[in-house]
Parts: sequence; C-alpha cells; structure tokens
Amino acid sequence: MIRSRRSEITWALILVAPFVAAYLVLFIWPTIQMVLLSFTDAPLIGPGNWIGLDNYFEMFEDRRFKTAVVNTGYFVLLTVIPNTLVGLLIAIGVNRLKGWQQSLVLALFFLPYILPVSVVYLMWNWMFDTQFGIMQGPLTMIFGKPTHVFRTTWLFMPAVALVTIWWTCGFNILLFLAGLRSISPEIYEAASLDNAGRFKQFFRITWPLIWPVTALVLTIQLILQLKIFDQVYLFVQGGRADPSMVLVQYIYNQAFQKSEGGYAATISVALFVIIITVSVLQYTALRARGAK
Amino acid sequence: MKKFIKIALLTTTAAMLSFGAQAKETVVWWDFLSGGDGVRMKALIEKFNAEHADTIEIQPTTLEWGVPFYSKAQTSAAIGEGPDVMTYHLSRMPLGISTGTLAEITADDLAGVGLSGDNFAASNWQAAQADGKQYAVPFDIHSVILYYNKDKLAEAGLIGDNGLPTGLDGVDNFNAALEKLQAAGTQYGVSIHSAAADSQWRIFLGLLAQQGGEFMDANGEFLSGDNLDKAVNVTELVASWVANGQAPEQTDYAASIALFTSGEAAMHINGVWEVPTMTDLHAKGELFEWGAIQLPTFYDKPGTWADSHSFVIPNNVGKEQTAEKRKAVMEVIAWMNKNSISWANAGHIPAYTAVRESEEFKNMQPNAVYSTLADTAVFDPQSKLAGVASPVYDAVGNYMVPAINGEMEARQAIEEMRDDLNDQRD
Repeated sequence: MIRSRRSEITWALILVAPFVAAYLVLFIWPTIQMVLLSFTDAPLIGPGNWIGLDNYFEMFEDRRFKTAVVNTGYFVLLTVIPNTLVGLLIAIGVNRLKGWQQSLVLALFFLPYILPVSVVYLMWNWMFDTQFGIMQGPLTMIFGKPTHVFRTTWLFMPAVALVTIWWTCGFNILLFLAGLRSISPEIYEAASLDNAGRFKQFFRITWPLIWPVTALVLTIQLILQLKIFDQVYLFVQGGRADPSMVLVQYIYNQAFQKSEGGYAATISVALFVIIITVSVLQYTALRARGAK
Repeated sequence: MKKFIKIALLTTTAAMLSFGAQAKETVVWWDFLSGGDGVRMKALIEKFNAEHADTIEIQPTTLEWGVPFYSKAQTSAAIGEGPDVMTYHLSRMPLGISTGTLAEITADDLAGVGLSGDNFAASNWQAAQADGKQYAVPFDIHSVILYYNKDKLAEAGLIGDNGLPTGLDGVDNFNAALEKLQAAGTQYGVSIHSAAADSQWRIFLGLLAQQGGEFMDANGEFLSGDNLDKAVNVTELVASWVANGQAPEQTDYAASIALFTSGEAAMHINGVWEVPTMTDLHAKGELFEWGAIQLPTFYDKPGTWADSHSFVIPNNVGKEQTAEKRKAVMEVIAWMNKNSISWANAGHIPAYTAVRESEEFKNMQPNAVYSTLADTAVFDPQSKLAGVASPVYDAVGNYMVPAINGEMEARQAIEEMRDDLNDQRD
C-alpha cells in the first residue's frame, strides 16, 4: 500500500517534469530576466548600466504611459462585458434550435474565431474603406459623409472593439452553450408546471446556474483584452498612435522603435502587475457574487 | 599526443585562413528596398556579382522597411550576427550611433577605394557624420516632388512657355491655381495622403524650412520660439486645402496615387520613388502626359525635405571584420556609388557627384528637372527621436494629421505636438 503510494508520487513527478522544466526555462527564467532588465538602461539587446529604480520613477511621471493605461482600460470596458453578453444571448438563441440547424448557425458564428488576425484586418479594412467600402453606406447615413473610422480619433477604439467582439465571440458562445446544455431539462419542466414565465425562468434558473461559466468567460476575456495588441497594431497602420496607444503597443514602441530595452521591461513589469491585480480583484468579486 | 593534435589543428587552421584570403570574399548584405527600388537594387547586385565573379560575392537579403529593419539591425549587431554591410536612412543614424550599432568608417577605409568627401555634396556628406566621425557613405538623396498632369495644368493656363508649370510659387498663387484647376473641371487640385503621418512630415519639414524655421533648435528643443508659429502656418495651409475640398480628406497612400493617375486630381505630392510607377504606366499608354518638379516655394525661399539612403557597416560585437573583408565591403560601397545611374531610374538623385553631374543624368527626365532640390534640401533633425518611423512620425500622426483633417484646431495640435516631443527628450 505504502509502496504503491510512493511509486504513484514518483510517477506523477516523472509525468509533470517535462512541463515544469519547460515552464521554468520558457516562462519563469525570462520573467526574472525581464525584472532584472527593468533596473538597467540597456538597449533592445546588449549590455546596459544598473540604474536602480530610475525607470520606475520615469514611468510614474510618463504622460504617455498613463495614456496607454487609460486606453487599455477603455478598450477593456468596450469589449469584456459586451462580448460576454453577446456570447450568452447568442448561445441561448442557438440552444433553442435543434439538429442540423443548430450546427449550421453555430458554425457561422464560430467561423470568424478561426480566422487569423491579418485576415480579419484585411477584411474589415476593406469593408470600412472610404472609397468603396460596404460599411460606408450606413456610416454616410450617420455622419453625413464617408468616414475613415480607423483615422477618426474618437471612432478608432469603438471600431476596433466591434471588430474584436465579432472576431472572438464564437469562443464565448461555445463555452456558454456547454453550460446551458448541462442544465437539466427537468428543472425547466418543473418551473413550467409552477407557472413560471420565460423571463422568470431565465433569471431564476438559467442565470444562477450559468454563473460559473460566466465568471470563467469574464476572466478569460479580461486577461485577453488587457493584452490587446495585434488588432490595434494592424488597424493603426501609419495613422494615429495616441488614441490607439495601448500598453503592449507602448512596450513595442519603447523596445523596437526607440531601442529602450530597460524601459520596455519596466512597462512590461507594470502590465504584469496590472493583469494579476485586476484578475484577482475580479475573481474575488465574482466569487462573492457566486456564493450568494 | 594531445599537444601534437593541437599543433596540427592550429597549423591547418592557419593554412586555411591564409588560403581564404586569396579565395572569394562573401559580403552579407541587408537592405529594406521593395517595389521599384528593390527591382533596381537586385539588378545592380547581380551586375556587381557578375563583374566580380572571382573576387567578391554579395549575398543579399531584403527585410521589412521601418521599425522591423532598424530593430533587427540593432539586435543582430549587438550579438555579432549582423551583416557585413547594410542600407540605412541617414535620418535614423542618431539612434544607430547611440545604441552602438554602427561601426566607424575611417579615412583609410575610404581612401583604399578612392572615396572621399569631395565625391559628395557637402550637406549630404556631413549628414553622414556624428562628432566628426564618418558612420555612413551616402548613396542617394530622395525627397518629395510635385507630380502634375500636363493637360489639366495647360487647360487652367498654368503651363509656361518653357513647357513647365508656372504660377505656383507663393501661397496665394498656389491657392489661386488650385481654384483655377477646380474651375477647369478637376475634382481635386492636389492629391496628398492626408491620412499618412510620414507623408505629411515630408511636406511639412520643407515648408517649415521655406520660412526659415527649424523643427529642432541647437539646444535640441522642438519647435521653440517662433518656430511654433511657422509650423502652425504650414498646418493651417494644408488643412485649408482639405477643408476647401481642394485636397482629399483622410486619404491613404495608395488611394492618393490613384486619384492622380485616374485624372481626378491635377497634382500630387509624393516621393521621387513613385517616378517609375508613372514612367511604367505612361509607357503602357495608360497615363496622360505628366511631369514632376521640385515643390513650389510657398514662403520666403526654396526648401524641401530630404533623406538619404546610405551604406553603413554594422558594429558586430565580438566579430571584428578582417582587413580583407573590410576592403571588399568598401569595394561594394564604392562600386554601387559609381554605378548609381541605374539607381536614378528609381527616381532618386545620386549622391555621388560625378554621376549626378554626368550627361546621362542631365538628360534623364523628369529627374533632371527636380534634382535642383538637392541644393536646398533639409534633412531630419539629428535626434534619436527623428527619422524614418520614429517618435517624430508618430507625433505628426497624433496631432498634425487630425489638424489637417479638421478634427483638431491647428495651433492647439501643434502646441500639443511640441510638448509631447519635448517630454520625450533625454
């Protein structure tokens, strides 16, 4: 008994060893290097001088860093909750369909999610084109003239958020659908017998039972959207940097455009801290809500 | 025994090294040249390799222009994996020097292949120096020019007796010309890429210099004193073209060219590198009679933004170039300059004076007409923040481009741009 227990532990250790090794080499070690780098004035690659906390002082006085934090926060607000709600509503709709119809509709909603970001960019950029974009019809109705959404300061972020929701909601729909399917039909039957209407059923049965999935989706979304970079980088294409300056873009600029490796590492540490803090806060808030 | 093997190894290595010196040198070459530039450069490299079949072979690689190229240049040199020679914009040299990416090119290096400062225009040669050291050898001067549609200008009475545009100098004349062109039935008087920061910077710096303004003063401060007012003048001028419908709003690079080539715009401001595009279209019979001139003098004196493609030798850490390799690299640089007449076909003005003043270049159209701009060319300020795809370009995109398209008030935009850039100084 004891022997077999021990051999089990040995086996377990052997089995996780490759992962742990890769994790140490590919994640923990570079992270430590990054933190060390943030105390130097090194260029992108090469030796630098130890300058202590100077980079951190500079960061707290850096107006552009604050802009990047605000922009990233704005993007998170525009995407995380809307994307989750859209996913839930479509999942409820899809859940009502049966058989092949369900598969077809689900496939249509999931299709954008498997596209690479460059394809998404080319497609939407073409649809929004001022000269012959299909989206210019409705835009001209709203603004009275053809409008270049990715070159109009206040429209940039909402437009990228819209594209992002269209692109990624397929994944949320799948998660919600799995959650909805795990709710046993008997509960709804019982509710119908007790004369509960559709709204009552949703708020009293579906919503509470689907909550764990919602919490999961929100957390995944939050972490993903805090790291927003590719869409913004592509859509800005020589246009405005300021309204689109998100944290990862700012790190990219410091490292690759200005060759300030030390300062880029400092901002990376800040992003790391922001993601961990916000995730923990959100998790705590959601757990408190779930415990009710 | 061990000792014997060591000695044997050492002697064979030594033998191989001395043998290698007589063998063919390979020169690893990186550039960022695409489109028409890329085609012409590849032809030059092939020609060089054919002529030096027994001595030197260039092994070229083309990387992506802009931030990707310059970050790769820095990182590869820092770990000793950079090329033997690469193309470089003179405007991006300050950053390259501050990160230790560029190796010094000594007087001996130059003399070894018969090059010196006398072969180049003085302003161009000095732009390749920092603290009295030479870090680059210029290859061309490239700039923005005014492309024009001869038929449309003739209809509006803007072609002089010499067959060249007339009546475009001075802000008032130019604006009047735009109105004449529109009255004659053209949708836009002038097509600019109003949504692109790099292009607006190229127009702006020239027009700032035409008022005697400088973007960065001797103390390294951006838009100090009345330079700010001069910058506002330029921004308001370009914004007025867009606001009055004489230039297209929020237009990207490709679209602005299309407006000109389709005849919807009578003039077009763009880089000399689009000359081959026009030449090829015209040769196929798909383009009207066109020409190109130096940008008009809108203010007090002529002046045009310019940059320079040049050759640099990366400072490969831990891998000093051998004397033979250095000689081969210098040979490549010298040969390219002496043969740069075919580079002029891409619209560029050769940096090498003997080629620029040759009969062949003087007969090249429209290059010969606009090559006068080299005499009053203004290079980017020598700052780590300036140059190709730099923070200055970003600032132009953030403040000047919205102002040009009527999203921001010009003075407020330029003040914010000034503060932003001054914030970023070391």
